[in-house]
Amino acid sequence: MNIFSEIYGTYFRIAAKLLENEVTDEKTVSETVRREGFRDSVLFLPRKLIPNGEDWGLFSRTPDGDLKRITKNAPVKTLTKLQKMWLKSKLSDPRIRLFMDDETLSALEKRLADTPPLYRREQFRITDRFTDSDDFFNEQYITNFRTALEAVKHRKIVYIEFVSGHGKRVNGKFVLLKMEYSPKNGKFRAYCYLLRNDRVKSSGIINIGRITSIADTGRIFRTPVSIDDYFSSRKCSSPAVIRVTTARNGVERFMLEFASYEKHTVRDLETGEYTVELWYDRQDETELLIRLLSFGPVIEILAPQHLRRQAKQRIKRQAELLQQLR
Amino acid sequence: MAGFSELIKNFDKTRDYVRDFFIYGCKVRSDFDRKSIRTYGDEKRRVESWIGDYMRYDDSVRGRSVSISVDSGHIPENPLYNAYYSKSFTDNDIRLHFLITDILQDGKSRTLKEIVDVLNTDYGQLFDEQTVRNKLREYVDEGIIISEKQGKTLYYSLISDNADSFLQDFKGLDDALKFFSETQQFGIVGNSISKMLGLKNDLFFIKHNYIIHTLEDILLPEILSAMDEERYVSFRTFSEKKRKKGSVPETENQVIPMKLLVSVQTGRRYLAAYIPTLKRFSAFRLDYMKTVKKGKICENYEALKAKFDRNISRCFGVSFGMRRELGTVTPMKITFFVDEEKEQYILDRLEREKRCCTLEKSDEHLYTLTADVFDPNELMHWAKTFIGRIVRIEGGADSVRERFYSDIARMNIMYGGDEDEHIQ
Repeated sequence: MNIFSEIYGTYFRIAAKLLENEVTDEKTVSETVRREGFRDSVLFLPRKLIPNGEDWGLFSRTPDGDLKRITKNAPVKTLTKLQKMWLKSKLSDPRIRLFMDDETLSALEKRLADTPPLYRREQFRITDRFTDSDDFFNEQYITNFRTALEAVKHRKIVYIEFVSGHGKRVNGKFVLLKMEYSPKNGKFRAYCYLLRNDRVKSSGIINIGRITSIADTGRIFRTPVSIDDYFSSRKCSSPAVIRVTTARNGVERFMLEFASYEKHTVRDLETGEYTVELWYDRQDETELLIRLLSFGPVIEILAPQHLRRQAKQRIKRQAELLQQLR
Repeated sequence: MAGFSELIKNFDKTRDYVRDFFIYGCKVRSDFDRKSIRTYGDEKRRVESWIGDYMRYDDSVRGRSVSISVDSGHIPENPLYNAYYSKSFTDNDIRLHFLITDILQDGKSRTLKEIVDVLNTDYGQLFDEQTVRNKLREYVDEGIIISEKQGKTLYYSLISDNADSFLQDFKGLDDALKFFSETQQFGIVGNSISKMLGLKNDLFFIKHNYIIHTLEDILLPEILSAMDEERYVSFRTFSEKKRKKGSVPETENQVIPMKLLVSVQTGRRYLAAYIPTLKRFSAFRLDYMKTVKKGKICENYEALKAKFDRNISRCFGVSFGMRRELGTVTPMKITFFVDEEKEQYILDRLEREKRCCTLEKSDEHLYTLTADVFDPNELMHWAKTFIGRIVRIEGGADSVRERFYSDIARMNIMYGGDEDEHIQ
């Protein structure tokens, strides 16, 4: 049992797809490889699929030039032991309840009764998750989540009442674009647009756990919306520019911690220091600032100026506090 | 192009390259002097082929640097899964895969000889019994085929668990697959089911998403199974610092695995284990580990596990501390300034992020956090996120407190102290 096995591989998957039809042709082979394969697969894979003396022998040439599969049936999609063990592990993840009702869960549990889990939750310990995670056992939360998910799927306009991060009660009609999960916070959020008179007024993020009521208005938002436009509308106008020094293994620590950001790095050949540009969501600026400060003098915020100014203010205040202490 | 293949045999080697491209962001060919130029070229091309859209190139005086730049919070699928989908195989492997499963699709059990005969008569494919037997054994191990003895003869049949029927029978499984395929642990396995079913994640994004972790998942099944069986594990580790200096010294370790520690903030995962030779617990970075192998049974596993469970409650992160470096560690107390009326959010932050520490109001606008932890260094990395509010630090190790004071002094100079400055 191995995760790194050819039976899950891209080449096997493309072959399986092509073997679904009794007869196919070279054009379909090329198109499928181009669509489903890696960037260069089209240089390697078609010649292994199309009969030419060096192929795998999965197809034979018909008199009219088409390709006939050598198998009698479309390939089966048998779940492997590893895949079932993974599913079994997920059954003990509370978040599975967001997707399946109790009856379905017990039926799945029964179907996988003889399968051991791939892992047990207690074999892992998350060291730094915040403690105010969403309550995935709360029935109201589950209902709200499912309504929101349906709204995302079908672009339904929903009426939502929620409490903002600042404790304000907010309500309105929204179109939900995607769901976001943060492992750090243990929370789901929905990317959304607030609507006024059926037009997009502003973009936002709603924590599912803060929703007090959500209702389907029965209407669909038909104006095309692009998720890229949504992200662009929230992105910082200029990236944070950070100088990362080599002290205390700073480069490796920094690069790893900020690996989830879109970034551009340049290395100074003489000092070994890196200059890193990080792009971030404007709403997350404070979170970014405090994470940067936690690196101490190992890094320096060079730009934008307002971010550097905030860092400076906090450090100055801290230096003054320590002055009083000593 | 001659000799190049998109597929790989050795996952460890690729894991190494992908990590460097991904983490460091700017690597030029000469940085990989531990590898041959041809290997570098092939690995680079493979990575480009798998994750072309996310590769970034910059020209510098030292040559063209290559990196992977992904805003991983805004991608529907982890592009690094492609490394797993690139395992090389032989022509016989793929042929037998589709032929054997085709033959057994009717639900009947067959002997090895019958399968070999059908391959010959119905499909015109000549295979020797040994080759087919090996493939059948392999598939029994993967759980695609079951073998049952009837008398002295083994009969093979196909497992009836079909992905399509699962999707049909269990409402909500499609959305669950879309979500769990992109989350830990083993998202890659869920993604393989999604791929089989032609499902694409069009619903979820994962914030604070450390997609690189998927490359370490290759190590986990062996470790998890060793934990279940209460066995030792052996593995090799390499030091990133030494590796940067040109040599790649690898250390052989033999430990008793206790738990996998996951940091959702620093992008690191660890194996927490007991080191018998040192008689202490320690945490090993998964991204520095290679070739994990289960070893003999540990006779006193339960006792060690009980001790571990007690000790882990005194880890702020993953460190069990080094007494000889820190000396005796007394509980550390950090006092924060908080204006409760205007800054409830700071109190909320302290409460939700304090982990094993305790927090109490010590005076007007003052809140004291007490940390009885093995390694106060770990605590200070977090405490620095509260820079501007730390009124007092007591206890812990002298060196840790002194470092904080000196860090603040250095930062104050770095950011200009009282001077006005105009940096663009």
